[in-house]
Amino acid sequence: MTSILIAVAVLSLLALVFGVILGFASKKFKVEGNPVIDQVEALLPQTQCGQCGYPGCRPYAEAIANGDHINKCPPGGTATMEKIAELMGVDQEPLNAEAQSSVKKVAYIREDECIGCTKCIQACPVDAILGAGKLMHTVIAKDCTGCDLCVEPCPVDCIDMIPLETTLQNWDWKLNTIPVKVIHSEQEEQAC
Amino acid sequence: MLTILEQLDKGSLWQSPGGIHPPQLKTLSNQSAISRLPLAKRFVVPVPLVGEQATLTVTVGDKVLKGQILTEGAGFTYLPVHAPTSGQIIAIKQHATNHPSSLPTLSCIIEADGQDTWCDLTPNSLNQLSKPQILDKIKQAGIAGMGGAAFPSHVKLNPASEIDLVIINGIECEPYITSDDRLMRDHSHEIMSGVGVINHLLNPQRIIIAIEDNKPEAAQAMQDALNRSDLPKGVVRVTVIPTKYPSGGEKQLIQIITGKEVPSGAIPAQLGIVVHNVGTAYAIQEAIYQGKPLIERVVTLTGEHIGQPGNYWLPIGTTVADALQSVKFIESAEQKVIVGGPMMGYALAELDVPILKGTNCLLVPSQNEIAPDVDEKACIRCGECAVACPALLLPQQLFWHAKAEEYDKAASFNLKDCIECGCCSYVCPSDIPLVEYYRVAKSALKIEAEEKRQAEQAKIRFETRLQRLEDEKNAREAKAKEAAAKRQANMKSSDKDAVAAAMARIAAKKAQVTTAPSTASSTETATQTSQAVVDPKKAAVNAAIERAKAKKAAQASAARNDTLDSTSESVIVDDKQAKIAAAVARAKAKKAAQINQTDMVPTEVEPSTDIIDDKKARVAAAVANAKAKKITKENQTDETALAPQPTAEIESTTDIEASTDPIDDKKARVAAAVAKAKAKKLAQANQTDVTILAPHPTTDIESTTDLEATTDLIDDKKARVAVAVAKAKAKKLAQANQADEADTTIESIANDSITAQHTETPPTLKHEIASGSDTRLIINDDSAAYLTPEQIKKAKVAAAVAKAKAKKLAKSAEQEEH
Repeated sequence: MTSILIAVAVLSLLALVFGVILGFASKKFKVEGNPVIDQVEALLPQTQCGQCGYPGCRPYAEAIANGDHINKCPPGGTATMEKIAELMGVDQEPLNAEAQSSVKKVAYIREDECIGCTKCIQACPVDAILGAGKLMHTVIAKDCTGCDLCVEPCPVDCIDMIPLETTLQNWDWKLNTIPVKVIHSEQEEQAC
Repeated sequence: MLTILEQLDKGSLWQSPGGIHPPQLKTLSNQSAISRLPLAKRFVVPVPLVGEQATLTVTVGDKVLKGQILTEGAGFTYLPVHAPTSGQIIAIKQHATNHPSSLPTLSCIIEADGQDTWCDLTPNSLNQLSKPQILDKIKQAGIAGMGGAAFPSHVKLNPASEIDLVIINGIECEPYITSDDRLMRDHSHEIMSGVGVINHLLNPQRIIIAIEDNKPEAAQAMQDALNRSDLPKGVVRVTVIPTKYPSGGEKQLIQIITGKEVPSGAIPAQLGIVVHNVGTAYAIQEAIYQGKPLIERVVTLTGEHIGQPGNYWLPIGTTVADALQSVKFIESAEQKVIVGGPMMGYALAELDVPILKGTNCLLVPSQNEIAPDVDEKACIRCGECAVACPALLLPQQLFWHAKAEEYDKAASFNLKDCIECGCCSYVCPSDIPLVEYYRVAKSALKIEAEEKRQAEQAKIRFETRLQRLEDEKNAREAKAKEAAAKRQANMKSSDKDAVAAAMARIAAKKAQVTTAPSTASSTETATQTSQAVVDPKKAAVNAAIERAKAKKAAQASAARNDTLDSTSESVIVDDKQAKIAAAVARAKAKKAAQINQTDMVPTEVEPSTDIIDDKKARVAAAVANAKAKKITKENQTDETALAPQPTAEIESTTDIEASTDPIDDKKARVAAAVAKAKAKKLAQANQTDVTILAPHPTTDIESTTDLEATTDLIDDKKARVAVAVAKAKAKKLAQANQADEADTTIESIANDSITAQHTETPPTLKHEIASGSDTRLIINDDSAAYLTPEQIKKAKVAAAVAKAKAKKLAKSAEQEEH
């Protein structure tokens, strides 16, 4: 009889001790939020274009963390999709939007035609359009993410998406080597 | 153990890792002294900083002198650009530049006048200038590192930390280049005085002039110059180091001289060391002692396809094509022109590009010298490249990852420490252009980092915007709440009559909404209601209350069937009500006039609109509107009703013209409103009894003149009053459609009492109109007196008038139903 009581007492004590340890750990090492969301968000291009169907990059990152498709980000392109696939441990999916040219673009307002309606200013997710009512607007090119969202609301269609000009600063050495690389790959295939 | 200074004095050298010994071809170009070429006709001076850090000080067509500054700007690393010769600026445009991409940059194209006239130069001596002045002079001379990287020299001469050792780099390890060699031989004294300036600025413990042992003449010349100079003994020494490529690299040279390795990502200044090129020392000396900016440099033109290889003073901005032309360049198909040496240089895509401050060599090799590109073979993992690498990297791994486009992995193998010296490509038995791969990977990494930075920026901006929108929304809500509270307080503070009046108003509006078949009138009422709600001003509330009171009084009087009584009472109550009456009278008078209108009116309004400016366009629009409406109504028009009043028509037309002529374009709107109202009245005429309206031509003229007078007297705010009147009329029209008897409506408008007017006869009506217009005249004077200073109030009065009318109409509709 005593041995049963001892066993019960010992087990109860153990349960209590471990309970305390677990309770402490749950407070001490608590993780706020889902870290995956931040990791996914860091991979997204932050154009805030909404082409994924979510209002901004973070909501889409949250959706991906909750199991949404990873192929809804045309500005990020295949490269971003692959990175997310790797991070989330899911299969790669072809982009569902029509293949977008990888050339980065910026909005440009034809200032003669602008009537100053401020509609594009309201549409811009990064406040990169400058102007006031009945005054000409202009795009702060360095802050423009090229998301296209200002083109649609313009009542006079005076916004163009212009491919970013290649300058000495953003020139990619790759451009010159593209034909060279094509030849290399062909040769390798022949060698194999 | 000797200290580092003692070892430097002893001439001890350390071994740098890696390196190669390519065949030397310096004798091709270093046999003759530096000479000059005939002045080119055209110079291309790139001004890449314009638009970022600098602005142009010249425009197309300006005459410039040799050495004149073309840009001005601010910024730590800003360097001014100078005209290389005297002449005229014939264009400032995008022009291909001396860069592997040959991308266009903004450039000044200068046509030389052949005079080569210097601008004013101010030579100084070191004693005349303070250190900041010297640094500024060096900056204003536009001196950049002449070794190739073209980093602004004044930055390196003004370091944050103490400098113990200055190394003057005369290594020139590239196999073909001899520009520094010839400069040291021909201008050793000038270089030494430049070293003196550097010594004065940095005051280091030692200055080492490092020269490779394949240039004994240069080393000898420098030693002689040093012996004859007045530099403090023991500080400066000429050290000859063994020939090896790439000893001339900054980090490699420091390692050879001091044995110290510059940490990855650090600059030599952190070790207390600064390296300057001999060409830079020469340029500094020119800038201080002669006042000359850096507008020319020694360029080695070499290679077997150049007829006269050698070193030449070339003004910066000379095009490569011009330079090659004057040294008997042997042109051939697919000729490569390499800028820099064979190891680190790049081939030019086109020859119409300028010589820059860092352009030390133009190499035009024959097929014997540099083999054409051979096909790359597979890497055999021989490890030669790792042995040759002076930066102790693992070229194979870098190549592997760069080829697979796994740039982040390449970066983890310290790709950024690659100095692109080309040793690995040189030793590669598989002819792999390794440096090309690294350059691609480096630029990809650079772009990736830039995109990351931009994404971060965009995210911050997006979040800030969301925050802003949220704040604005909260502010709006708070304001609305505050306004509601205020309104509530006002309601409570005023007497019970106000509540009753409000209730009555609501009932009236409801009645109107249910009875009015035209949606237009109901929506207008709705907007007015919302306006009334939005307006938080106490004044407006009070006005409404008083109006309600007035109406009640009028109704009470109407119940007694005493119309004269009601008019007198309305005069007594307060001037607000009087205004209502006045407006009503005005409206009525105008209506009477308009009934008589024919098609001629709008066409007569049109010529006057032509006179006035673009706002008039709206008038035209309104006229068109009116016409359209009139046409539809014409089908129903009773022609006999329109016939009898030709005189009234003419008069009213002249009135309209008179009111539009003063060019005050806001007035044009009044005219427009009048025109609109007329058109509507015309429609109304179909349903009204002509006989009742017949007696009114005289009042019509009077009231129109009155209207004109008021618009003339007062400014554009008044115009709104008129517009409001016109609007009210429009509503009245809607009401009229429901009215069984037109005269009832008119009379009910004239008097605020509605019920008692059914049996009124025309004479009485006329009398009432006269009294109404009299009252209005008085009121107008009053309002003009107190409204002109406070025009905002006026607008409110107009709104109140319109509102009152609308309500009245609702009432009348109600009455009609009963």
